[in-house]
Amino acid sequence: MSGEEIVEATELKKDYGTVHAVRGINFHIRRQECFGFLGVNGAGKTTTMKMVYCRIGATSGKLRVVGLDAASHSAEIRRRLGVVTQANALDPELSVLENLLTYASFFDIPASRSRAKADGALALLNLSGRTGDRVRELSGGMQRRLVIAKALVTDPELLILDEPTTGLDPQARLLVWETLAALKRSGLTIVLTTHYMDEAARLCDRIAIMDEGRIFALGTPAELIAAYAAPDVLEVSGADGEALAAAAGSLLVRRERLGETDYLYTRDNGALLHALAVHGIELQRHVARPATLEDVFLNITGRELRD
Amino acid sequence: MNPLLAFLRPNAWRVFHRNLLAWKTFAWSSITINIIEPLVYFVAFGYGFGAYFSFGGQGSLLQYLGPGMLALTAVNAATFDAAWGGYERLTTNGVYESMVTAPVEPEEIAAGEYLWQAFRATLYGAIFLVVIAALGLVHSWLALLCLPVLALTGLLFAIPALYVAFIVKTPEHLFYYFALLVTPLVMFAGVFFPLDRLPRWTQYVAWATPLYHAVSACRALIAGTPSLSTLREVGWLALAIVLVVWLPQRVLRRRLSG
Repeated sequence: MSGEEIVEATELKKDYGTVHAVRGINFHIRRQECFGFLGVNGAGKTTTMKMVYCRIGATSGKLRVVGLDAASHSAEIRRRLGVVTQANALDPELSVLENLLTYASFFDIPASRSRAKADGALALLNLSGRTGDRVRELSGGMQRRLVIAKALVTDPELLILDEPTTGLDPQARLLVWETLAALKRSGLTIVLTTHYMDEAARLCDRIAIMDEGRIFALGTPAELIAAYAAPDVLEVSGADGEALAAAAGSLLVRRERLGETDYLYTRDNGALLHALAVHGIELQRHVARPATLEDVFLNITGRELRD
Repeated sequence: MNPLLAFLRPNAWRVFHRNLLAWKTFAWSSITINIIEPLVYFVAFGYGFGAYFSFGGQGSLLQYLGPGMLALTAVNAATFDAAWGGYERLTTNGVYESMVTAPVEPEEIAAGEYLWQAFRATLYGAIFLVVIAALGLVHSWLALLCLPVLALTGLLFAIPALYVAFIVKTPEHLFYYFALLVTPLVMFAGVFFPLDRLPRWTQYVAWATPLYHAVSACRALIAGTPSLSTLREVGWLALAIVLVVWLPQRVLRRRLSG
């Protein structure tokens, strides 16, 4: 067992009755990296997270978290994690400060030390000065930051965030991203789930793309783009795809069609545009751009990432 | 985890403390509501009916109602918060969900709720006891021993209320619990009228209801005439608690690990 790996899952499965939520997945998460699970709702991301933070047990397979077996060391593991769940994570009947102190007390942190820790966590998330507020008096963005502060108040080895920015406005999202980036720079290991491509690309060192309870691809964003897309993509709407492919010849790495749009993957958009022009193809509407995780996702699952 | 040992775990007391923090923001309104309502019934029945009915040799109706309403106040203080509060903390407010991401076990959460509801029953009962003492209806310092009896009574009513709160699908189902179970049990517990002139079956029903034993014990203590049977009533309450204490703990573990 190498000390580098903070989470190790082997053939991890979770069934709810006849529903196979997670169908035997394998992944390793290294210390000090930010690891993301990317997928649509229902892909199995949250179920996977719940198994990692020991909220539910696995149906089968092996799972080790912070070097301990999740099946037998649930409490010890939870003691060493910080968890940001999707909803309902704050106590609406308590003040901001009481939320943190009460939570810290469950980790055997004495009251004398937890106040300083709470102040530190609130300062880090720009929430100093709101200590006496009720949770419902905070905006959605502030509440999300408070949940992160709550997860950090116990000095976790691993921070788990289940869809940390879902439902936030763009400004609040940006603030959460900056906080997570700063935490990562400070050496904290982070695991998050998201259905936002830009979030995964921006924050994560490595990404597992999940769909229907399986991991379809796992790697750095650059590796995934190299393996499942190409450096560039030319989106062409309302054109004859076969004619485009013929004109592009060997410049075309891969072609996908979604609705009225053809996605032409290539190593270099400039060369591709030139080739199309040489063959006398006039493009009505087109977008030339670098390939993103969105393309990877499209190519792997064959459908758009919505919601 | 042994359901009775869970009481001794520090986390049970931290759950208790969480409830205390949440309560203190609306403590005064909670106390007012929980004391005023039984007091209104008490005075209206006691003086109102009392003026029309002679109470053959057993003192005034007001005198009779005092210990009964005392026990009932404690029961209500524990039962309503256990049912509705427990439901909210498990579901809409996600209080327990958050706790189990920390190293807290469901049994400890349930034990913390037990401690909290026993405390509520004792506190609200103590306030009601002060009120009836001020009305000159308490005749012995032994009445102070009602407080531990009320703690047991509150706990015994809170346990099934929590159990129901943890299994219902919607909060409306809690009304069934109160209308079909709690209210009838309260009516035949000797709170409002003695049972010795009613058909014999009512006394069997009464013996099976926890409140009957609580009321009997409080009545003897307030009158200053406890006996061996008072001890038996308390024993009944304690035994009943031991028999059902594991129910909410088990269902809460299922809810918080599935």
